[in-house]
Amino acid sequence: MILADLSRSELERRLAGPGLRLRAGPVVTQIQSLLGAVADGVALHYAAHPIEDSDGFADFFVRVDRPRNLRRWLHPQAVFYIDGEAPFTPLPLDQAFPLLEWGLNWCISAHCHQYLIFHAAVVERSGRALILPAPPGSGKSTLCAGLIHRGWRLLSDELALIDPATSRVIPLARPVSLKNRSIDVIRAFAPAAVLSRPVHDTTKGTVAHMQATPDSVRRAAEFASPAWIVMPRYEAGATAALTTLPKARAFMEMVNGGFNYSVHGRKGFEALARVVDLCACHTFAYGDLEEAAKLFDALATKS
Amino acid sequence: MTFREWNGEIVVFNQETGSTHLLDEFAGIVLRRLMASECGATVEELATALAYGQEAREQQESEQAVTAVLAEFARLGVAHADAS
Repeated sequence: MILADLSRSELERRLAGPGLRLRAGPVVTQIQSLLGAVADGVALHYAAHPIEDSDGFADFFVRVDRPRNLRRWLHPQAVFYIDGEAPFTPLPLDQAFPLLEWGLNWCISAHCHQYLIFHAAVVERSGRALILPAPPGSGKSTLCAGLIHRGWRLLSDELALIDPATSRVIPLARPVSLKNRSIDVIRAFAPAAVLSRPVHDTTKGTVAHMQATPDSVRRAAEFASPAWIVMPRYEAGATAALTTLPKARAFMEMVNGGFNYSVHGRKGFEALARVVDLCACHTFAYGDLEEAAKLFDALATKS
Repeated sequence: MTFREWNGEIVVFNQETGSTHLLDEFAGIVLRRLMASECGATVEELATALAYGQEAREQQESEQAVTAVLAEFARLGVAHADAS
């Protein structure tokens, strides 16, 4: 059963009551919320995702609601709870759905230590994963969003989950977080992309989430083998170009973007080394998304 | 100590500290020499091995370079000086 099989009233009933058990890749989250913005966001972005029975297993139990104080009425806010605790500062109420997404990212990166987790987008083609590690503001999510509308499958926009035993990338197809100018870039580049209403004045600027493609959600059980590590960097006016990145340096870039690399110790080092062994490593500068998509199309076709 | 090399550059994992370091080609050669010798090596021995067949002046430069690398290894906890 997928979320779209539920009526809006049943979705709201579950969110307001026992919780909605939503599966994204290997992770099941029980979500509760009385907020319409959360129901809207979940309905829009997780329509194709499987939902689980309420008596089954869930990895995380989260809730996004108004705080229980006067702020409830004055400058309304939203709070993210996990197991009844609120680990983050409340945010303005209109940021309730982004808060849920950011909270889920934290749940996974801070707890799913069966995987090596890196701050990277990952897309797949013909079973081969293109890993895009990069700091915020580099154009990683824009490139990721663009590529999944040009024949690549979304594995993750934010968290690269790697099975240390097999070196394979585990799909975690969830909404792609677009910020500021990239929202209009993607609207122009992929008119069919489904985006949420932009939320302004977040700590990341204006944010809109883009729905994962249905194909990406449907194929959540198809793992991928790492084939490329590419560090993207948007530069206005730059011609799209790949430059070889020495593997040892690519390794260190991955380490620097690791959420739980240190947790895995020597086994993590060895697992990441196997991933780097499998990959061609590059830096990538681009100034035009269409040109970038053509370059990656050629890369996937020729190698 | 666990390490991997790609095209001369080495990444090394220090199990004692849990940290990972990138070493350039020269530092990588010094590390491999150290790891290959069962009871360590002196700066002079390392420099001689690395400057084999070179002039005395280059031997001195090699010793200075090795000393600098060993100081960095000590800072990172990758290798330690032995007073004996």
